[in-house]
Amino acid sequence: MKLQRHPELLDRLAAAHALGTLRGGARRRFETLAREEPVVRAAALIWQGRVASMNELQTPKAPAGAVWTRIDNLVRADQDSQAMAMARSAPPTQEPANGWWRSLVLWRGASAAGALATVLAVVTAVGLRDQLGAEIGALQAQLATVPTVEYVAVLNDDSASPSMLVTFDPNNRKLTLQRVGNFQESADKSLQLWALPPTGGPRSLGVLSQERLLKLAAVEGDVREVPTLAISLEPKGGVPSETGPTGPVLFKGALIQKML
Amino acid sequence: MAWLRVRRGVAENPPPPLRHNLRMADTQDGDLMALIERIAAQDQAALKTLYDLTSGKLYGLALRVLRRNEWAEDALQDTFLQIWRTAPDYRASLSPPMAWLGLIVRSRSLDQLRRHKAEREHLTDEIDDAMSDTLEGDSPNPMDTSLASQQAWALHQCLSQLENKQREVVSLAYLRDLSHGELAQQLQLPLGTVKTWIRRGLDQLRSCMARFA
Repeated sequence: MKLQRHPELLDRLAAAHALGTLRGGARRRFETLAREEPVVRAAALIWQGRVASMNELQTPKAPAGAVWTRIDNLVRADQDSQAMAMARSAPPTQEPANGWWRSLVLWRGASAAGALATVLAVVTAVGLRDQLGAEIGALQAQLATVPTVEYVAVLNDDSASPSMLVTFDPNNRKLTLQRVGNFQESADKSLQLWALPPTGGPRSLGVLSQERLLKLAAVEGDVREVPTLAISLEPKGGVPSETGPTGPVLFKGALIQKML
Repeated sequence: MAWLRVRRGVAENPPPPLRHNLRMADTQDGDLMALIERIAAQDQAALKTLYDLTSGKLYGLALRVLRRNEWAEDALQDTFLQIWRTAPDYRASLSPPMAWLGLIVRSRSLDQLRRHKAEREHLTDEIDDAMSDTLEGDSPNPMDTSLASQQAWALHQCLSQLENKQREVVSLAYLRDLSHGELAQQLQLPLGTVKTWIRRGLDQLRSCMARFA
């Protein structure tokens, strides 16, 4: 039957289709016709628009205030992850500022040397297990048994002695720092951990408390493709990430992604 | 001209007084469209303004579909996240802004409904309770034309002419995406009655809407 020759029936079917009460085989036949015949399709679309305006006639009610907070958080997270993705794919735009700390060449060199130094440091650490005490041994045993630890760094002082062991667990989004040397900052100073990405300036990963073992919140984006970590001595409470480190660098080392 | 036909339709079949100011509706639509355009350019402040202007209306719709505050809140949250992500597609939809927003709310609300299908028994009880008043009483289910597009205003005029129970059954069939059988079950009405009310309601709507076409 040519539905377009029966405008009354076409109108009735299109209205029932838009309302959703045309079901089963009748619905499938109507939709097939609509795909084939522009007249049928037009009637279906007109009624879809008419019926859908029922959405606009419902009595308003104010939602709870918490709903906007949740939306706002999600939108910000959405935008952050977009910005991060763009930053990752964008070519380097920012010329590092003057000063040895921000010297890209130095850090590139340092990170290349750092990779080798870290391997040596780990070997040394194993060899010097007795002197360094049970802490390192315990931590290494722990490293071997906890499969979620994906990034490891041993940060050395300027005499190449291991001073800080850093691991990152992407599952729990936690950086774990363990002091393995004897360094203790004075009460009016803080240690601050920095990521030194291949492009752009150093990025703060957090300020350390005085404990020997502590955890900092971080996401994988913070450490992925970061060749080097460093710790600087800063005024109590640390400095904002944008200013970069202001005090001396005490420890640094390469960050390696575990392959195991 | 649609506007003249609206006037004539009103004269032939006097509904409640025509309070809808079309020029005001145009201004509102323009404001909302400008906001959606800014949202498409990732303007978070514009999203907040759109939320302030429309969340009451959109939440009311989600609540009508879902009946539960927490589900309707989830649907509203999903809606605004989708607006944030798909605002660049708005222009191509050729819809009045509230029609576009309403469609998003309805689909996200129906998603919630499907997601909670396991709890459907409970939901059915609540609907039965809420519905028995509406269908037995004489008071019309209030319809609200704030922010409504011109087409929604026309549908409002035509729905107003239906008997309350017919309007209710027709509305729920669409808003909750219910078949004749599901409606009969939820409203505890004979299937034949539901079918008759819907057929008559739709016939009346068709002849009324034809005057606005």
